[in-house]
Amino acid sequence: MVSLAANIIGFVTDILHALYAMVGLSFWAAQLDIVVVVVVMFGFTSVFVMFLVWMERKVSARMQSRLGPNRVGPFGLLQTMADAIKLTIKEDVQPVHRDKIPYFIAPIVAFVATFMGLVVIPFDKGMVVQDLNIGILYVIAITSFTVIAILTAGWSSNNKFALLGGFRSSAQIISYEVPLVLSLVPIIMTTGTLSLNGIVLYQQQHGTWFIIPQIVAFFIFITSATAEANRAPFDIPEAESELIGGFHTEYSGVKFAMFFLGEYVAIIVSSAVAATLFLGGWLPLPFLAFLHLPGFVWFMLKLLFIIFIVMSFRWTFPRLRVDQLMDFGWKVLIPIAILNILATGFILLLMAKGA
Amino acid sequence: MNKFLNYFPGILKGLWNLFVGLSVTVRTMFRKTNTQQYPEERPEMPVRSRSMIKLIYDGEKDQFNCVACMMCAKACPNSCIKLEGVRMPDGKRRMTTFKLDFSTCIFCGYCVEACGFDALTFVSNEYENTVYKRGSLLQDEQAMKWVRPAHLAPKTEETEPAAVPAAQGAPQ
Amino acid sequence: MTDLLLSRVKADDLSRLGTDDYVVNMGPQHPATHGVLRLVVKLDGETVKQTTPVLGYLHRSIEKICENRTYPQCITYTDRVDYVSAMSVNLAFALAAERLMGIEAPARAQWLRMIFVELQRLASHLLWMGAFGGDLGALTPFLYGLRERERILDLFEMTCGQRLTYNYIRIGGVMIDILPEFVPRCRSFLDYFEPKVDEYEDLLTYNPIFLERTKGVGVLTAEEGINCGVSGPSLRGSGVPCDVRKQQPYLFYDQVKFNEPLEQGGDCWSRYKVRMNEMRESVSIIRQCLDKLEPGPFEAKMPPILKAPPASEFYSRIESSRGEMGIYLVGDGTPKPWKAKFRCASFNNLYVLDALTRGWKVADIMAVLGSFDMIVPEVDR
Repeated sequence: MVSLAANIIGFVTDILHALYAMVGLSFWAAQLDIVVVVVVMFGFTSVFVMFLVWMERKVSARMQSRLGPNRVGPFGLLQTMADAIKLTIKEDVQPVHRDKIPYFIAPIVAFVATFMGLVVIPFDKGMVVQDLNIGILYVIAITSFTVIAILTAGWSSNNKFALLGGFRSSAQIISYEVPLVLSLVPIIMTTGTLSLNGIVLYQQQHGTWFIIPQIVAFFIFITSATAEANRAPFDIPEAESELIGGFHTEYSGVKFAMFFLGEYVAIIVSSAVAATLFLGGWLPLPFLAFLHLPGFVWFMLKLLFIIFIVMSFRWTFPRLRVDQLMDFGWKVLIPIAILNILATGFILLLMAKGA
Repeated sequence: MNKFLNYFPGILKGLWNLFVGLSVTVRTMFRKTNTQQYPEERPEMPVRSRSMIKLIYDGEKDQFNCVACMMCAKACPNSCIKLEGVRMPDGKRRMTTFKLDFSTCIFCGYCVEACGFDALTFVSNEYENTVYKRGSLLQDEQAMKWVRPAHLAPKTEETEPAAVPAAQGAPQ
Repeated sequence: MTDLLLSRVKADDLSRLGTDDYVVNMGPQHPATHGVLRLVVKLDGETVKQTTPVLGYLHRSIEKICENRTYPQCITYTDRVDYVSAMSVNLAFALAAERLMGIEAPARAQWLRMIFVELQRLASHLLWMGAFGGDLGALTPFLYGLRERERILDLFEMTCGQRLTYNYIRIGGVMIDILPEFVPRCRSFLDYFEPKVDEYEDLLTYNPIFLERTKGVGVLTAEEGINCGVSGPSLRGSGVPCDVRKQQPYLFYDQVKFNEPLEQGGDCWSRYKVRMNEMRESVSIIRQCLDKLEPGPFEAKMPPILKAPPASEFYSRIESSRGEMGIYLVGDGTPKPWKAKFRCASFNNLYVLDALTRGWKVADIMAVLGSFDMIVPEVDR
């Protein structure tokens, strides 16, 4: 049975090809297709990020026994739009002795690099921009770009404290990369493939999602993902009640908005990877399969669920001190992740021997 | 050695306590919020709320109750009140000018308590007193004029609180 | 990390290594210093070497002003000495003035004063809990604390008309009697509030992140605390029973049963736990006072102009939310005091901040400052 998503994609592709034919660019059809897909992806993610900022404000408000924004637009949905407009028309205050080109590039790298991670996420069966067979490796490599952006921002600001904040932040991100990768290794071992689509198909074949056998890896992954995005409880570099302002102290206006939105896109990418790997991607919930919802809807629901978990971490837990943060990453997460790999390997061997 | 043995139980206990904390915030999400949407929903001020000081004007006798005895000016800790009075031909004193500087007033209520002639009172519903110029906060007797609505009891019955009705304030 | 490197360097090389410490201002405007307190912090990397508080940004010369105001007018200024806990300061001044003038407040007034001071203690601790959580990064307890505090302030507003600077506890009694609906509303608030303390404890007390930030941080030994003049919950967190309500009972504190919460750790966590337990004790005290409230006058019969006898002096101490609040009044036969000196708990508690944070990280200054429940208007007056 062909899914709804495949139907829509086929239909739209036909229209586009007809359009190319009208303009006379049929030779470049494949490349133009990719350009269209990328533009659609970018547009969708931007809107989704705006929705997420609204969701964060509403969720945080409800957790604190108050209403969130509810005046600008219905239920306050246009609040992010208003904030974006405000940031755009703000004066761009720049330090005089900054390093001009890195100062300009850093927010762009922070914003754009994270988008590239969405290229391999399967939103539905066959609905993925490019199903690379090194999917997970690609995603992890791309999310490391943020370190470059942060270091560049801290350095080029010509501000001692921004530099220190940048160092702390990049140390944090680099040290949490290790448990991030290690927590995904058992899944790769079990499925034998790096492709995200392949992992979803494996979960479909075997009927269970990876969250059940790999619950430890799930927790490690979620924790490392929040640390990667510099979110509470790991947000020492950008905390307001801390001395050192953080790498984005000297940025204002649109540049600040790019850092801010880049953080949300990083959350989306990590949560999407978690939803795909641990919660079965576009697979329906086993006991609700009779609803026949398109796979895209299931994927978005799971994505929102994980994002909700990440958001509730921020508003419930206090902040960790920098050295405690590093302790936690190196002394707790990495040993547990390694033990998880050993245990998974052991069980796989036993199952292989038994079969 | 203790730390070594406590490693895994410590992690599990920590994880459990994190969940307990999360449950508190997630539970609060589904309860009623405590927000009062201000311009549309206005708070109901209690009777005794010290919102704004007004000079009582007696509609029937067509004069202010104030006799310029100066007790309020003496009682004020910040010397906000300046008033003048004149002795009328029939022997009674009447107030001619009354100025209260609200930029220094701390709403302690001593003037209202000190007045023995039921001339000053707090009007609890008038709490929106912002102005654009600081000079407008120096109010004279015309700005502070307030006629007590017919259904409200005068000050002497306040020692029996049961007699005081639910809302004391200028009619909306 | 620097210690590891330094230990491999020979002693005479250390002087030539010469790392500079830099001086940083946690300036008067800072989200976490609970008001306009300036801390000049000398840092070596991330480690604090010295913390010097610079005071006076909120100095309003209240003591000098009180020398030129009559005794009842001074009470309006005592509200502003510690505006988070205004009833306590009102009470301290009223007790001192009553003792000077030989006035005794009637029983009902004493019970009412106790109820309001304990409600004020609850309100102050709720604000402290919010601020402490906010310093550490947990932004939610602040909203929860304020939500409960709103109800307490509603009770206050119902009685005296104000929510922050009450001017309610007067010399000779209280300003005005409570309304009949106060007692049932207060009881229902207490019933609503008591399980909430458990909820706040769920959120913070055994949270591993909170424990890491506060356990073992800023340890104040009992001896150090007593020597430096620390008082109140900050000292009870080090195991010293120092509650003025137990040692020199004022009002009717000897007629109500309550415990004095003590913890032995002396660190931020112990001080936090002491205050959470104090909230529970306050609830029990208020319940007992509501039961024992008897009808009667709320104000003593007093002369119209209150004068203290010439050359009289008295030091009254009460247990405010932060520690020992003392007012030393000197009367000189006129309606105005000759001198009113305020001994505020936060001023003395602030002294130990330097000693407690040496060698710790910058983030710990916030934790220690928050755990001492320091209010700047009390420090500066």
